[in-house]
Amino acid sequence: MLFSRRLMLGLAMAGSMAAALTVPAMAEGPTEIDLFFPVPVDGKLARDMGTLIKEFNDGHPGIKATAVYTGSYDDTLIKTRASIKAGKPPAAVIMSANFLLDMQIENELTNLDSLIAADGGTKDQFLGQFFPALQGNAVINRSVYGVPFHNSTPLLYINADKAKEAGLDPSKPPQTWAELTDWAKKLTKREGDKVTQWGIAIPCAYDYCGWMMETLTMSNGGRYYNEEFGGEVYYDTPSMLGALTWWSDLVSKHKVHPPGATPGPAVSTSFISGNAAMMMLSTGSLTYVRENAKFNYKVAFIPRNVRNAVPIGGASLIIPAGVEADKQKAAWTLIKWMTSPEKSAWWSRATGYFAPNMAAYKTPHMVDFLNKNPDAKTAVEQLDVAKPWFATYKTVPVRKNLEDEVMLVLNGKKQPKEALVAAQKAADETLKPFNAETSLKLP
Amino acid sequence: MSLAEPAALPVAAPAPPRLHIARRFTTRFKASLPAYLLLLPSLIFLALFTYGAMGRVLIDALYQRATPKAPLRFVGLDNISAVLADSAFTGAVINNLVYAVGTAIPSIGLALLFALALARTNAVTSALRAALFLPVLIPMVAASALFLFIFLPNVGLLDYYIGRLLPVLPNWLGDPDIALYAIMIITIWKNAGYYMLFFLAGLQAVPEDVMEAAHLDGAGPFMRLRYIILPELKPTFLFVIVIATLNAVTQVDHVFVLTQGGPSNATNLVLFYIYQQAVEHFDVGKASAATLLTLAALMGLTALSFRTMANREGGP
Repeated sequence: MLFSRRLMLGLAMAGSMAAALTVPAMAEGPTEIDLFFPVPVDGKLARDMGTLIKEFNDGHPGIKATAVYTGSYDDTLIKTRASIKAGKPPAAVIMSANFLLDMQIENELTNLDSLIAADGGTKDQFLGQFFPALQGNAVINRSVYGVPFHNSTPLLYINADKAKEAGLDPSKPPQTWAELTDWAKKLTKREGDKVTQWGIAIPCAYDYCGWMMETLTMSNGGRYYNEEFGGEVYYDTPSMLGALTWWSDLVSKHKVHPPGATPGPAVSTSFISGNAAMMMLSTGSLTYVRENAKFNYKVAFIPRNVRNAVPIGGASLIIPAGVEADKQKAAWTLIKWMTSPEKSAWWSRATGYFAPNMAAYKTPHMVDFLNKNPDAKTAVEQLDVAKPWFATYKTVPVRKNLEDEVMLVLNGKKQPKEALVAAQKAADETLKPFNAETSLKLP
Repeated sequence: MSLAEPAALPVAAPAPPRLHIARRFTTRFKASLPAYLLLLPSLIFLALFTYGAMGRVLIDALYQRATPKAPLRFVGLDNISAVLADSAFTGAVINNLVYAVGTAIPSIGLALLFALALARTNAVTSALRAALFLPVLIPMVAASALFLFIFLPNVGLLDYYIGRLLPVLPNWLGDPDIALYAIMIITIWKNAGYYMLFFLAGLQAVPEDVMEAAHLDGAGPFMRLRYIILPELKPTFLFVIVIATLNAVTQVDHVFVLTQGGPSNATNLVLFYIYQQAVEHFDVGKASAATLLTLAALMGLTALSFRTMANREGGP
């Protein structure tokens, strides 16, 4: 009897499993879409996103959007790619602005031109809403692939109290590398060989390190990559050599910058705790600093050696390839709503990113906010000298080729020149398959 | 009728041997059919999620694209040779060897020490055992997030206390010479308590009478450890060494959270290398080839350890 009882039990179990596996029938109703969103900086972005999406759903009964948290920028790329491969892409993604080119090369993006045309406007009118500096990362081969959502530039943060203590005037922040070096020396405190307060800290961890190298290279007159073509980077150049040498000098020659590679959150913690008197960090951290600093602080442009220039950072809204037409339309409605002046301005105040939509700065709430927080203006003003963020074929590996070498230099294990030669060689190798298909594919 | 016992075979009538075998087979199959039926759900899921995935890796390792838009084509063992020629992979293998040896020996040593010290059960040792076991209960990701604050340069917990003693503060996770050791410390802290459990169980199996006899013969604590306890613990040792080696290859959560393989690949371990190839470089062929190599090495190692164990168990 035992036998049949076991058999029946087994069959019953198998049956219930099969029942659990069958997919429940879909109910008719609003178009359901997913939005993948990353949280790349300090703060409470996830909660703010929930508020934003709830408001959208309340105002659009035909659409039911769900915000799905997907980790860092890099994780968001990975998860988006995985869902595209699985044939179930989300309808919209907030994607790091410099991944768009790579995704377009891999045929993973929906060209937005036809959606713009269907609304009756031209591409120029559509793009004209956004700051010109942001368009480089959103337009590929003269087609629109992304809509700027929240953007940043690097800033110089100064602990104004410490500056005053050292006899420096925080209302006249350093404008050149020479002045910055001088400030950093005066702001460094030592007890014998031991440093108790660092003059300046610049983050270097994967992702941040490449962005800071682009920042320093650009303010040294250089370019990080070929803005027109995804197969070239300019690592072994005088402008980047100057940038890396100066950074390494701050560490090993002047000894005013903590040695080694320090990730962004460690740098902001160091600044907040008073251990570093100045730091270079994204505008995205501004709200975090404003809410946590127990001292007066000041933000300023990134100082120049040759010219004032910085890269943009941040993210754009995209529609992955392979989204069905009705979901595409719903996603487009969501994207237009999220990048409208009012929402853009609200998101900017909540996070510290600047609003890419220029009209956002004319909304009454925003005017009030800027009057109360003049530091938020600096990032917007710096946009005049901002340029696109590096984007190449396989952006992440190409960036890591440089970052690994920069980390060796900051640890005093390699000289800047040999590091950049090695980085160039490695990056050329990574870019080789793409060049074989494009620039070196000859008739 | 019980499943555990093989069904009694009917006495074979004189028949051609082939038929005999065939009938034997069907009868056996009939008898074990319920067992197979009961196993079926598990077999389906094993096939789908374990063996299916492994088969897929095997196939993926043989294909590659020449250029990003070219179609996949069969390349044989090219992916494997590409992986072996990649200095990042050999670097990861060396890191992993250092990591495996450097985490297995200290954590096993500590585990044995804890187990010996806490072998007797009373209120104090129970509390201490629980305390030592606590790190095992914390998920690796959460533990790494905690250590992120401990290792924070200049302002972290570690620097706050050690800072008074050292002239120059090390950048624990930002210096390629130190980062791997910092990662290793977390692993040792996390795993020692887990291995302690196995040694505690092993110590229970040390025969009481032998210990008593040794005691009467005047063997001191060290002698008893050297000649009775350690030999009795040999199977436990072998088992824990296998587990520790597997952990060294399969646990990379802390690398994800703390260093992402950096600085300059100093903490890049084999599994993280595979992840990088698959999702950062988008190179499934190379990732699969590296997976195969790792699997082969692990299986070889495990087979070797278990054979040694079987020999020891069975031998004189």
